[in-house]
Amino acid sequence: MVNNDITSAAAAVAGSSNGARSDDFRVKSGLAQMLKGGVIMDVTDAAQARIAEEAGACAVMALERVPADIRAEGGVARMSDPGKIKEIQEAVTIPVMAKARIGHFVECQILEALGVDYIDESEVLTPADDLYHVEKSGFKVPFVCGCRGLPEALRRIAEGAAMIRTKGEAGTGDVVEAVKHMRQLNKDISRAKAALQESGELGIRALAREFEVDPTLLKQTAELGRLPVVNFAAGGVATPADAALMMQLGCDGVFVGSGIFKSGDAAKRAKAIVRATTHFKDPKVLAECSEGLGEAMVGISVSSMRPDQKLAGRGW
Amino acid sequence: MALSVGVLALQGGFSEHLHSLRRAAADLNRHVNCIEVRTPEQLSACDALVIPGGESTTLSLVAVQSNLLEPLREFVKVKRKPTWGTCAGLIFLSEEASSTKRGGQELVGGLDVRVHRNHFGRQRESFVTDLELAFLEATPSSSKPPPFPAVFIRAPVVDKLLTDEVEDRSAQNHVATETGLPSPVVKSRAAKNAKVEVLAVLPGRHASNEAAAIGDISAVAPKGDGDIVALRQGNVFGTSFHPELTDDVRIHTWWLQQVLQATSLN
Repeated sequence: MVNNDITSAAAAVAGSSNGARSDDFRVKSGLAQMLKGGVIMDVTDAAQARIAEEAGACAVMALERVPADIRAEGGVARMSDPGKIKEIQEAVTIPVMAKARIGHFVECQILEALGVDYIDESEVLTPADDLYHVEKSGFKVPFVCGCRGLPEALRRIAEGAAMIRTKGEAGTGDVVEAVKHMRQLNKDISRAKAALQESGELGIRALAREFEVDPTLLKQTAELGRLPVVNFAAGGVATPADAALMMQLGCDGVFVGSGIFKSGDAAKRAKAIVRATTHFKDPKVLAECSEGLGEAMVGISVSSMRPDQKLAGRGW
Repeated sequence: MALSVGVLALQGGFSEHLHSLRRAAADLNRHVNCIEVRTPEQLSACDALVIPGGESTTLSLVAVQSNLLEPLREFVKVKRKPTWGTCAGLIFLSEEASSTKRGGQELVGGLDVRVHRNHFGRQRESFVTDLELAFLEATPSSSKPPPFPAVFIRAPVVDKLLTDEVEDRSAQNHVATETGLPSPVVKSRAAKNAKVEVLAVLPGRHASNEAAAIGDISAVAPKGDGDIVALRQGNVFGTSFHPELTDDVRIHTWWLQQVLQATSLN
Protein backbone atom coordinates (compact mmCIF):
# COMPACT_ATOMS: atom_id res chain seq x y z
CA MET A 1 0.00 0.00 0.00
CA VAL A 2 1.23 3.46 -0.84
CA ASN A 3 1.90 5.29 2.32
CA ASN A 4 1.36 8.99 1.92
CA ASP A 5 1.15 10.34 5.39
CA ILE A 6 3.56 11.61 7.97
CA THR A 7 2.10 9.52 10.77
CA SER A 8 3.72 6.26 9.79
CA ALA A 9 6.87 8.13 8.88
CA ALA A 10 7.13 9.63 12.36
CA ALA A 11 7.34 6.20 13.91
CA ALA A 12 9.87 5.07 11.35
CA VAL A 13 12.06 8.15 11.76
CA ALA A 14 12.45 7.38 15.44
CA GLY A 15 12.94 3.67 14.82
CA SER A 16 9.84 1.60 15.54
CA SER A 17 11.94 -1.05 17.22
CA ASN A 18 12.36 1.18 20.23
CA GLY A 19 8.88 1.81 21.65
CA ALA A 20 9.69 4.59 24.08
CA ARG A 21 11.74 6.57 21.58
CA SER A 22 9.10 6.04 18.91
CA ASP A 23 6.34 7.36 21.21
CA ASP A 24 8.55 10.30 22.11
CA PHE A 25 8.99 11.26 18.46
CA ARG A 26 5.30 10.66 17.71
CA VAL A 27 4.36 13.23 20.33
CA LYS A 28 6.97 15.72 19.08
CA SER A 29 6.05 15.34 15.43
CA GLY A 30 2.37 15.17 16.40
CA LEU A 31 2.32 18.73 17.73
CA ALA A 32 3.76 19.94 14.41
CA GLN A 33 1.04 17.97 12.61
CA MET A 34 -1.56 19.86 14.65
CA LEU A 35 -0.01 23.18 13.59
CA LYS A 36 -0.43 22.44 9.88
CA GLY A 37 -2.45 24.84 7.80
CA GLY A 38 -1.68 27.50 10.37
CA VAL A 39 0.42 30.61 10.84
CA ILE A 40 3.13 30.93 13.48
CA MET A 41 3.88 34.55 14.30
CA ASP A 42 6.98 36.21 15.75
CA VAL A 43 6.12 38.25 18.85
CA THR A 44 8.30 40.23 21.23
CA ASP A 45 5.92 40.86 24.13
CA ALA A 46 2.60 39.87 25.70
CA ALA A 47 0.62 42.53 23.84
CA GLN A 48 1.82 41.28 20.45
CA ALA A 49 1.20 37.70 21.52
CA ARG A 50 -2.42 38.59 22.35
CA ILE A 51 -2.86 40.22 18.94
CA ALA A 52 -1.47 37.09 17.29
CA GLU A 53 -3.77 34.79 19.26
CA GLU A 54 -6.80 36.97 18.50
CA ALA A 55 -5.88 36.86 14.82
CA GLY A 56 -5.92 33.05 14.82
CA ALA A 57 -2.19 32.25 14.97
CA CYS A 58 -1.72 28.54 15.71
CA ALA A 59 1.41 29.32 17.75
CA VAL A 60 3.72 32.23 18.54
CA MET A 61 7.49 32.49 18.40
CA ALA A 62 8.74 34.44 21.40
CA LEU A 63 11.83 36.51 20.68
CA GLU A 64 13.49 39.67 21.88
CA ARG A 65 13.81 41.39 18.53
CA VAL A 66 12.15 40.50 15.26
CA PRO A 67 14.60 39.57 12.50
CA ALA A 68 14.25 42.96 10.78
CA ASP A 69 15.53 44.66 13.96
CA ILE A 70 18.26 42.07 14.50
CA ARG A 71 19.37 42.87 10.98
CA ALA A 72 19.20 46.63 11.47
CA GLU A 73 20.84 46.74 14.89
CA GLY A 74 23.53 44.13 14.31
CA GLY A 75 25.56 42.68 17.17
CA VAL A 76 25.21 39.19 18.62
CA ALA A 77 21.63 37.89 18.67
CA ARG A 78 20.90 35.42 21.48
CA MET A 79 18.08 33.53 23.17
CA SER A 80 15.41 35.79 24.70
CA ASP A 81 15.29 36.83 28.32
CA PRO A 82 13.36 34.06 30.15
CA GLY A 83 11.24 36.77 31.76
CA LYS A 84 9.95 37.80 28.32
CA ILE A 85 9.16 34.21 27.42
CA LYS A 86 7.24 33.66 30.67
CA GLU A 87 5.29 36.86 30.11
CA ILE A 88 4.26 35.60 26.69
CA GLN A 89 3.42 32.11 28.01
CA GLU A 90 1.12 33.69 30.57
CA ALA A 91 -0.59 35.90 28.00
CA VAL A 92 -1.77 33.22 25.56
CA THR A 93 -3.15 29.67 25.50
CA ILE A 94 -1.65 28.65 22.14
CA PRO A 95 1.79 26.96 21.89
CA VAL A 96 4.76 29.21 22.56
CA MET A 97 7.98 28.57 20.65
CA ALA A 98 11.34 30.20 21.23
CA LYS A 99 14.66 30.46 19.39
CA ALA A 100 18.05 29.16 20.44
CA ARG A 101 21.37 29.77 18.70
CA ILE A 102 22.66 27.06 16.38
CA GLY A 103 24.68 24.64 18.48
CA HIS A 104 23.88 26.33 21.80
CA PHE A 105 22.57 23.32 23.70
CA VAL A 106 22.52 25.15 27.03
CA GLU A 107 20.12 27.77 25.66
CA CYS A 108 18.02 24.77 24.62
CA GLN A 109 18.17 23.31 28.13
CA ILE A 110 17.01 26.65 29.53
CA LEU A 111 14.15 26.90 27.06
CA GLU A 112 13.12 23.34 27.89
CA ALA A 113 13.14 24.17 31.59
CA LEU A 114 10.87 27.14 30.86
CA GLY A 115 8.39 24.76 29.26
CA VAL A 116 8.38 26.24 25.77
CA ASP A 117 6.41 24.03 23.38
CA TYR A 118 8.93 24.04 20.51
CA ILE A 119 12.53 25.24 20.13
CA ASP A 120 13.66 26.80 16.87
CA GLU A 121 17.40 26.22 16.48
CA SER A 122 17.66 29.25 14.30
CA GLU A 123 20.06 30.88 11.87
CA VAL A 124 18.36 34.19 12.69
CA LEU A 125 20.37 34.24 15.92
CA THR A 126 24.16 34.31 15.88
CA PRO A 127 25.51 30.74 15.69
CA ALA A 128 27.24 29.49 18.84
CA ASP A 129 29.04 26.53 17.25
CA ASP A 130 30.69 26.51 13.84
CA LEU A 131 30.89 22.73 13.72
CA TYR A 132 27.85 21.14 15.29
CA HIS A 133 24.14 21.70 15.46
CA VAL A 134 22.44 20.68 18.71
CA GLU A 135 21.88 16.95 19.19
CA LYS A 136 18.14 17.26 19.52
CA SER A 137 16.83 13.75 20.04
CA GLY A 138 17.67 13.67 23.75
CA PHE A 139 15.45 16.65 24.54
CA LYS A 140 11.85 16.18 25.62
CA VAL A 141 10.89 19.43 23.90
CA PRO A 142 10.59 19.16 20.10
CA PHE A 143 12.74 21.17 17.67
CA VAL A 144 12.15 22.95 14.39
CA CYS A 145 15.13 23.77 12.16
CA GLY A 146 15.70 25.67 8.94
CA CYS A 147 16.75 24.25 5.58
CA ARG A 148 17.59 25.43 2.07
CA GLY A 149 17.00 22.04 0.51
CA LEU A 150 16.63 18.35 1.25
CA PRO A 151 20.21 17.61 2.39
CA GLU A 152 20.09 20.18 5.18
CA ALA A 153 16.56 19.09 6.16
CA LEU A 154 17.50 15.41 6.48
CA ARG A 155 20.63 16.22 8.48
CA ARG A 156 18.50 18.14 10.96
CA ILE A 157 15.94 15.31 11.15
CA ALA A 158 18.78 12.86 11.80
CA GLU A 159 19.80 15.06 14.74
CA GLY A 160 16.25 14.82 16.08
CA ALA A 161 14.33 17.76 14.56
CA ALA A 162 10.59 16.96 14.48
CA MET A 163 9.66 19.83 12.17
CA ILE A 164 11.42 21.67 9.35
CA ARG A 165 11.02 25.12 7.87
CA THR A 166 12.55 26.56 4.78
CA LYS A 167 15.00 29.30 5.77
CA GLY A 168 14.11 31.99 3.29
CA GLU A 169 15.79 35.24 4.22
CA ALA A 170 14.45 36.46 7.56
CA GLY A 171 13.75 40.11 8.22
CA THR A 172 13.61 41.17 4.58
CA GLY A 173 9.92 40.96 3.69
CA ASP A 174 11.17 39.57 0.37
CA VAL A 175 9.70 36.14 -0.33
CA VAL A 176 12.14 35.23 -3.10
CA GLU A 177 14.50 33.17 -0.92
CA ALA A 178 11.64 31.24 0.73
CA VAL A 179 10.41 30.35 -2.74
CA LYS A 180 13.91 29.40 -3.85
CA HIS A 181 14.41 27.07 -0.88
CA MET A 182 11.00 25.47 -1.27
CA ARG A 183 11.59 24.87 -4.98
CA GLN A 184 15.00 23.42 -4.20
CA LEU A 185 13.44 21.10 -1.63
CA ASN A 186 10.81 19.93 -4.11
CA LYS A 187 13.47 19.40 -6.76
CA ASP A 188 15.64 17.39 -4.37
CA ILE A 189 12.68 15.22 -3.39
CA SER A 190 11.92 14.57 -7.08
CA ARG A 191 15.52 13.49 -7.55
CA ALA A 192 15.24 11.12 -4.60
CA LYS A 193 12.05 9.62 -6.02
CA ALA A 194 13.67 9.19 -9.43
CA ALA A 195 16.77 7.61 -7.88
CA LEU A 196 14.64 5.09 -6.01
CA GLN A 197 12.54 4.27 -9.07
CA GLU A 198 15.42 3.96 -11.47
CA SER A 199 18.12 2.33 -9.36
CA GLY A 200 16.49 1.24 -6.09
CA GLU A 201 18.69 0.98 -3.02
CA LEU A 202 21.84 1.63 -5.04
CA GLY A 203 20.42 4.85 -6.41
CA ILE A 204 19.42 5.96 -2.93
CA ARG A 205 22.88 5.19 -1.55
CA ALA A 206 24.60 7.10 -4.33
CA LEU A 207 22.36 10.12 -3.82
CA ALA A 208 22.78 9.88 -0.03
CA ARG A 209 26.55 10.18 -0.55
CA GLU A 210 26.09 13.22 -2.75
CA PHE A 211 23.61 14.83 -0.32
CA GLU A 212 25.66 13.74 2.71
CA VAL A 213 22.55 12.38 4.42
CA ASP A 214 21.36 9.19 6.07
CA PRO A 215 20.23 6.78 3.31
CA THR A 216 17.33 5.45 5.41
CA LEU A 217 15.82 8.92 5.78
CA LEU A 218 16.43 9.62 2.10
CA LYS A 219 14.68 6.42 1.07
CA GLN A 220 11.77 7.23 3.31
CA THR A 221 11.49 10.69 1.76
CA ALA A 222 11.57 9.13 -1.72
CA GLU A 223 8.80 6.69 -0.78
CA LEU A 224 6.63 9.36 0.80
CA GLY A 225 7.26 11.90 -1.93
CA ARG A 226 7.65 14.53 0.78
CA LEU A 227 9.65 15.29 3.90
CA PRO A 228 8.90 12.75 6.63
CA VAL A 229 8.06 15.60 9.04
CA VAL A 230 5.93 18.73 8.80
CA ASN A 231 7.49 21.54 6.74
CA PHE A 232 6.59 25.22 7.11
CA ALA A 233 7.74 28.16 5.02
CA ALA A 234 9.68 30.98 6.64
CA GLY A 235 11.86 33.97 5.91
CA GLY A 236 10.27 36.80 3.95
CA VAL A 237 6.52 36.10 4.07
CA ALA A 238 4.86 39.53 4.39
CA THR A 239 1.45 39.38 2.70
CA PRO A 240 -1.55 37.03 2.44
CA ALA A 241 -0.51 36.34 -1.15
CA ASP A 242 3.00 35.37 -0.01
CA ALA A 243 1.51 32.91 2.48
CA ALA A 244 -0.78 31.36 -0.14
CA LEU A 245 2.12 31.20 -2.62
CA MET A 246 4.16 29.14 -0.17
CA MET A 247 1.16 26.89 0.57
CA GLN A 248 0.58 26.30 -3.13
CA LEU A 249 4.24 25.36 -3.49
CA GLY A 250 3.57 22.58 -0.99
CA CYS A 251 4.37 23.92 2.47
CA ASP A 252 2.29 22.71 5.42
CA GLY A 253 1.98 26.17 7.01
CA VAL A 254 3.88 29.44 7.39
CA PHE A 255 6.00 31.36 9.84
CA VAL A 256 5.60 35.12 9.65
CA GLY A 257 8.35 37.04 11.36
CA SER A 258 8.81 40.74 10.89
CA GLY A 259 6.02 40.87 8.29
CA ILE A 260 3.22 41.43 10.79
CA PHE A 261 4.51 43.75 13.48
CA LYS A 262 6.59 45.83 11.06
CA SER A 263 3.49 46.66 9.04
CA GLY A 264 0.88 49.40 9.39
CA ASP A 265 -2.10 47.51 10.85
CA ALA A 266 -0.66 44.39 12.50
CA ALA A 267 -3.96 42.89 13.73
CA LYS A 268 -5.67 43.20 10.39
CA ARG A 269 -2.71 41.86 8.44
CA ALA A 270 -2.31 38.96 10.86
CA LYS A 271 -5.95 37.92 10.43
CA ALA A 272 -5.70 38.22 6.67
CA ILE A 273 -2.60 36.00 6.53
CA VAL A 274 -4.32 33.36 8.69
CA ARG A 275 -7.34 33.37 6.39
CA ALA A 276 -5.18 33.22 3.27
CA THR A 277 -3.30 30.23 4.66
CA THR A 278 -6.54 28.25 5.12
CA HIS A 279 -8.07 29.28 1.80
CA PHE A 280 -4.80 29.24 -0.14
CA LYS A 281 -6.41 27.65 -3.19
CA ASP A 282 -9.28 30.14 -3.46
CA PRO A 283 -8.23 33.31 -5.36
CA LYS A 284 -11.53 35.03 -4.56
CA VAL A 285 -10.93 34.76 -0.83
CA LEU A 286 -7.29 35.75 -1.37
CA ALA A 287 -8.42 38.90 -3.19
CA GLU A 288 -10.74 39.75 -0.32
CA CYS A 289 -8.17 39.32 2.38
CA SER A 290 -5.46 41.19 0.47
CA GLU A 291 -7.59 44.32 0.29
CA GLY A 292 -7.03 47.43 2.40
CA LEU A 293 -4.36 46.06 4.69
CA GLY A 294 -2.46 49.34 4.91
CA GLU A 295 1.25 49.54 4.65
CA ALA A 296 3.24 46.33 4.33
CA MET A 297 6.68 46.18 5.89
CA VAL A 298 9.06 48.23 3.80
CA GLY A 299 11.54 45.41 3.47
CA ILE A 300 14.84 44.92 1.76
CA SER A 301 15.23 43.39 -1.65
CA VAL A 302 17.41 40.32 -1.24
CA SER A 303 19.05 40.93 -4.63
CA SER A 304 20.57 44.14 -3.26
CA MET A 305 22.21 42.33 -0.33
CA ARG A 306 25.81 41.17 -0.02
CA PRO A 307 26.29 37.47 0.73
CA ASP A 308 27.62 38.26 4.22
CA GLN A 309 24.39 40.11 5.02
CA LYS A 310 22.29 36.98 4.47
CA LEU A 311 21.32 34.81 7.43
CA ALA A 312 20.40 31.69 5.45
CA GLY A 313 24.06 30.81 4.98
CA ARG A 314 24.36 30.08 8.70
CA GLY A 315 24.10 26.36 9.47
CA TRP A 316 24.84 23.56 7.07
CA MET B 1 -25.42 6.80 -3.14
CA ALA B 2 -21.98 6.68 -1.58
CA LEU B 3 -21.52 8.13 1.84
CA SER B 4 -19.73 11.52 1.99
CA VAL B 5 -17.64 12.13 5.07
CA GLY B 6 -16.08 15.57 5.46
CA VAL B 7 -13.05 16.56 7.46
CA LEU B 8 -12.99 20.20 8.54
CA ALA B 9 -9.84 21.52 6.86
CA LEU B 10 -9.48 25.01 8.31
CA GLN B 11 -6.30 24.17 10.20
CA GLY B 12 -4.68 21.21 11.95
CA GLY B 13 -4.37 17.49 11.38
CA PHE B 14 -7.00 17.04 8.70
CA SER B 15 -4.94 15.09 6.16
CA GLU B 16 -4.17 12.43 8.79
CA HIS B 17 -7.91 11.92 9.38
CA LEU B 18 -8.59 11.68 5.65
CA HIS B 19 -5.85 9.08 5.38
CA SER B 20 -7.21 7.03 8.30
CA LEU B 21 -10.82 7.30 7.07
CA ARG B 22 -9.82 6.06 3.61
CA ARG B 23 -8.03 3.10 5.19
CA ALA B 24 -11.02 2.37 7.41
CA ALA B 25 -13.41 2.54 4.44
CA ALA B 26 -11.18 0.12 2.53
CA ASP B 27 -11.15 -2.25 5.52
CA LEU B 28 -14.96 -2.13 5.60
CA ASN B 29 -15.01 -2.60 1.84
CA ARG B 30 -17.27 0.43 1.46
CA HIS B 31 -17.00 3.31 -0.93
CA VAL B 32 -16.82 6.52 1.07
CA ASN B 33 -16.14 10.00 -0.35
CA CYS B 34 -13.71 11.64 2.01
CA ILE B 35 -13.62 15.39 1.43
CA GLU B 36 -11.89 18.48 2.82
CA VAL B 37 -14.36 21.04 4.15
CA ARG B 38 -13.49 24.75 4.07
CA THR B 39 -16.78 26.31 2.98
CA PRO B 40 -20.51 26.06 3.84
CA GLU B 41 -21.13 24.57 0.38
CA GLN B 42 -18.67 21.76 1.01
CA LEU B 43 -20.22 21.13 4.43
CA SER B 44 -23.69 20.83 2.96
CA ALA B 45 -22.47 17.94 0.81
CA CYS B 46 -21.46 15.89 3.87
CA ASP B 47 -23.38 13.10 5.60
CA ALA B 48 -20.95 13.13 8.52
CA LEU B 49 -18.03 15.25 9.68
CA VAL B 50 -14.74 14.96 11.51
CA ILE B 51 -13.36 18.02 13.28
CA PRO B 52 -9.63 17.38 13.64
CA GLY B 53 -7.06 18.45 16.16
CA GLY B 54 -5.34 21.77 15.69
CA GLU B 55 -5.48 24.95 17.71
CA SER B 56 -9.04 25.40 18.93
CA THR B 57 -8.66 29.20 19.02
CA THR B 58 -7.55 29.17 15.38
CA LEU B 59 -10.39 26.81 14.40
CA SER B 60 -13.04 29.05 15.92
CA LEU B 61 -11.62 32.29 14.52
CA VAL B 62 -11.20 30.87 11.03
CA ALA B 63 -14.65 29.22 11.18
CA VAL B 64 -16.17 32.61 11.96
CA GLN B 65 -14.16 34.28 9.14
CA SER B 66 -15.26 31.54 6.75
CA ASN B 67 -18.96 31.90 7.68
CA LEU B 68 -18.94 28.31 8.91
CA LEU B 69 -19.90 28.66 12.56
CA GLU B 70 -23.69 28.75 12.09
CA PRO B 71 -23.70 26.07 9.37
CA LEU B 72 -21.62 23.87 11.70
CA ARG B 73 -24.06 24.40 14.58
CA GLU B 74 -26.95 23.53 12.28
CA PHE B 75 -25.12 20.43 11.03
CA VAL B 76 -24.41 19.17 14.55
CA LYS B 77 -27.37 20.35 16.61
CA VAL B 78 -30.30 20.76 14.23
CA LYS B 79 -29.70 18.21 11.49
CA ARG B 80 -27.90 16.09 14.09
CA LYS B 81 -25.56 14.50 11.59
CA PRO B 82 -22.79 12.25 12.92
CA THR B 83 -19.83 14.38 13.99
CA TRP B 84 -16.57 13.37 15.62
CA GLY B 85 -14.11 15.78 17.21
CA THR B 86 -10.56 14.92 18.25
CA CYS B 87 -8.63 17.11 20.69
CA ALA B 88 -9.34 20.67 19.47
CA GLY B 89 -12.35 19.17 17.69
CA LEU B 90 -13.65 17.88 21.02
CA ILE B 91 -13.26 21.38 22.48
CA PHE B 92 -15.14 22.84 19.51
CA LEU B 93 -18.00 20.36 20.00
CA SER B 94 -18.40 21.03 23.73
CA GLU B 95 -20.99 23.41 25.17
CA GLU B 96 -18.41 24.98 27.46
CA ALA B 97 -14.64 25.23 27.70
CA SER B 98 -12.38 26.40 30.49
CA SER B 99 -8.86 27.83 30.30
CA THR B 100 -9.83 29.49 27.04
CA LYS B 101 -8.01 32.46 25.64
CA ARG B 102 -8.84 35.81 27.20
CA GLY B 103 -12.29 36.87 26.10
CA GLY B 104 -13.30 33.24 25.50
CA GLN B 105 -13.77 31.51 22.17
CA GLU B 106 -16.71 30.53 20.00
CA LEU B 107 -17.78 26.88 20.18
CA VAL B 108 -20.08 24.79 18.02
CA GLY B 109 -21.37 22.75 20.96
CA GLY B 110 -23.38 19.55 20.88
CA LEU B 111 -21.85 17.76 23.86
CA ASP B 112 -23.34 18.78 27.21
CA VAL B 113 -19.98 18.93 28.91
CA ARG B 114 -17.31 21.40 29.84
CA VAL B 115 -13.78 20.67 28.63
CA HIS B 116 -10.61 21.87 30.24
CA ARG B 117 -8.09 22.99 27.60
CA ASN B 118 -4.40 22.02 27.82
CA HIS B 119 -5.39 19.91 30.79
CA PHE B 120 -2.09 18.11 31.26
CA GLY B 121 0.02 21.21 30.67
CA ARG B 122 2.43 22.18 27.93
CA GLN B 123 4.04 20.11 25.19
CA ARG B 124 6.55 18.49 27.56
CA GLU B 125 3.52 16.95 29.35
CA SER B 126 2.25 15.37 26.11
CA PHE B 127 2.32 11.56 26.12
CA VAL B 128 1.27 8.28 24.55
CA THR B 129 -0.48 5.68 26.68
CA ASP B 130 -2.34 2.43 26.19
CA LEU B 131 -6.06 2.84 26.77
CA GLU B 132 -8.69 0.12 27.19
CA LEU B 133 -11.64 0.90 24.94
CA ALA B 134 -14.68 -1.25 25.65
CA PHE B 135 -16.61 0.12 22.67
CA LEU B 136 -14.16 -1.46 20.23
CA GLU B 137 -15.35 -4.93 21.18
CA ALA B 138 -16.87 -6.28 18.00
CA THR B 139 -19.30 -8.74 19.56
CA PRO B 140 -20.24 -9.52 23.13
CA SER B 141 -18.62 -12.92 22.83
CA SER B 142 -15.30 -11.80 21.40
CA SER B 143 -12.36 -11.44 23.72
CA LYS B 144 -11.12 -8.15 25.10
CA PRO B 145 -9.69 -5.91 22.36
CA PRO B 146 -6.02 -4.98 22.64
CA PRO B 147 -5.51 -1.54 24.18
CA PHE B 148 -5.46 1.51 21.91
CA PRO B 149 -2.27 3.62 21.66
CA ALA B 150 -3.74 6.95 22.69
CA VAL B 151 -1.69 10.03 21.74
CA PHE B 152 -2.37 13.04 23.97
CA ILE B 153 -0.89 16.33 22.70
CA ARG B 154 -1.57 19.39 24.85
CA ALA B 155 -4.86 17.57 25.24
CA PRO B 156 -8.16 18.65 26.79
CA VAL B 157 -10.32 16.46 29.04
CA VAL B 158 -13.96 16.65 30.05
CA ASP B 159 -13.93 18.13 33.54
CA LYS B 160 -17.62 18.79 34.06
CA LEU B 161 -20.87 17.20 32.96
CA LEU B 162 -23.71 19.55 32.13
CA THR B 163 -26.46 16.94 32.17
CA ASP B 164 -27.64 14.32 34.63
CA GLU B 165 -28.33 11.84 31.86
CA VAL B 166 -25.03 9.98 31.99
CA GLU B 167 -24.05 6.40 31.43
CA ASP B 168 -20.58 5.09 32.12
CA ARG B 169 -19.72 2.60 29.41
CA SER B 170 -15.95 2.85 29.79
CA ALA B 171 -13.77 -0.19 30.31
CA GLN B 172 -12.33 1.61 33.30
CA ASN B 173 -15.73 1.64 35.00
CA HIS B 174 -15.56 -2.10 35.57
CA VAL B 175 -12.16 -2.07 37.17
CA ALA B 176 -11.32 1.26 38.67
CA THR B 177 -14.35 3.00 40.03
CA GLU B 178 -16.41 1.90 42.92
CA THR B 179 -17.85 5.34 43.26
CA GLY B 180 -20.03 4.67 40.22
CA LEU B 181 -21.11 7.20 37.66
CA PRO B 182 -19.81 10.73 37.82
CA SER B 183 -22.72 12.71 39.19
CA PRO B 184 -23.80 15.79 37.31
CA VAL B 185 -22.85 19.19 38.55
CA VAL B 186 -25.81 21.04 37.11
CA LYS B 187 -29.26 19.98 36.10
CA SER B 188 -29.92 18.96 32.56
CA ARG B 189 -30.67 22.04 30.53
CA ALA B 190 -32.29 20.24 27.63
CA ALA B 191 -34.13 17.07 28.48
CA LYS B 192 -34.60 16.25 24.82
CA ASN B 193 -30.87 15.70 24.33
CA ALA B 194 -29.54 12.17 24.33
CA LYS B 195 -27.66 10.99 27.36
CA VAL B 196 -23.91 11.37 27.61
CA GLU B 197 -22.12 8.05 27.26
CA VAL B 198 -18.70 8.02 28.87
CA LEU B 199 -16.61 5.77 26.63
CA ALA B 200 -13.13 6.02 28.11
CA VAL B 201 -11.57 7.28 31.29
CA LEU B 202 -7.87 7.87 31.72
CA PRO B 203 -7.15 6.65 35.21
CA GLY B 204 -5.35 8.71 37.82
CA ARG B 205 -2.96 10.62 35.65
CA HIS B 206 -3.01 14.21 36.63
CA ALA B 207 -2.77 16.37 39.68
CA SER B 208 -5.55 18.82 38.97
CA ASN B 209 -8.35 16.55 40.15
CA GLU B 210 -6.51 16.29 43.43
CA ALA B 211 -6.07 20.04 43.50
CA ALA B 212 -9.73 20.42 42.77
CA ALA B 213 -10.56 18.04 45.58
CA ILE B 214 -8.91 20.45 47.96
CA GLY B 215 -10.38 23.54 46.38
CA ASP B 216 -13.58 24.03 44.46
CA ILE B 217 -15.02 20.55 44.24
CA SER B 218 -18.23 21.69 42.64
CA ALA B 219 -16.37 22.93 39.59
CA VAL B 220 -14.98 19.56 38.61
CA ALA B 221 -16.44 16.18 37.73
CA PRO B 222 -16.35 14.52 41.12
CA LYS B 223 -15.00 11.25 39.88
CA GLY B 224 -11.65 12.09 41.38
CA ASP B 225 -9.61 9.23 40.06
CA GLY B 226 -9.70 9.72 36.33
CA ASP B 227 -10.46 11.95 33.38
CA ILE B 228 -13.10 11.44 30.73
CA VAL B 229 -11.20 11.22 27.43
CA ALA B 230 -13.81 9.70 25.09
CA LEU B 231 -17.56 10.19 25.07
CA ARG B 232 -20.64 10.25 22.93
CA GLN B 233 -23.92 12.06 23.11
CA GLY B 234 -26.38 11.13 20.39
CA ASN B 235 -24.78 11.99 17.07
CA VAL B 236 -21.69 13.61 18.57
CA PHE B 237 -18.54 11.66 19.44
CA GLY B 238 -15.44 13.14 21.01
CA THR B 239 -11.94 11.99 21.93
CA SER B 240 -9.24 13.94 23.77
CA PHE B 241 -6.57 11.96 21.99
CA HIS B 242 -5.48 11.53 18.37
CA PRO B 243 -6.30 8.15 16.76
CA GLU B 244 -5.29 9.72 13.41
CA LEU B 245 -1.69 10.00 14.62
CA THR B 246 -1.38 6.21 14.85
CA ASP B 247 -1.51 3.42 12.30
CA ASP B 248 -4.37 1.88 14.30
CA VAL B 249 -7.62 2.63 12.44
CA ARG B 250 -9.97 0.73 14.75
CA ILE B 251 -11.67 3.87 16.04
CA HIS B 252 -12.10 5.26 12.53
CA THR B 253 -13.57 1.92 11.44
CA TRP B 254 -15.90 1.81 14.44
CA TRP B 255 -17.05 5.40 13.84
CA LEU B 256 -17.64 4.80 10.11
CA GLN B 257 -19.76 1.79 11.02
CA GLN B 258 -21.78 3.97 13.40
CA VAL B 259 -22.19 6.55 10.63
CA LEU B 260 -23.28 3.91 8.12
CA GLN B 261 -25.86 2.61 10.60
CA ALA B 262 -27.14 6.08 11.45
CA THR B 263 -27.45 7.20 7.85
CA SER B 264 -29.17 4.01 6.69
CA LEU B 265 -31.84 4.55 9.33
CA ASN B 266 -32.73 7.92 7.85
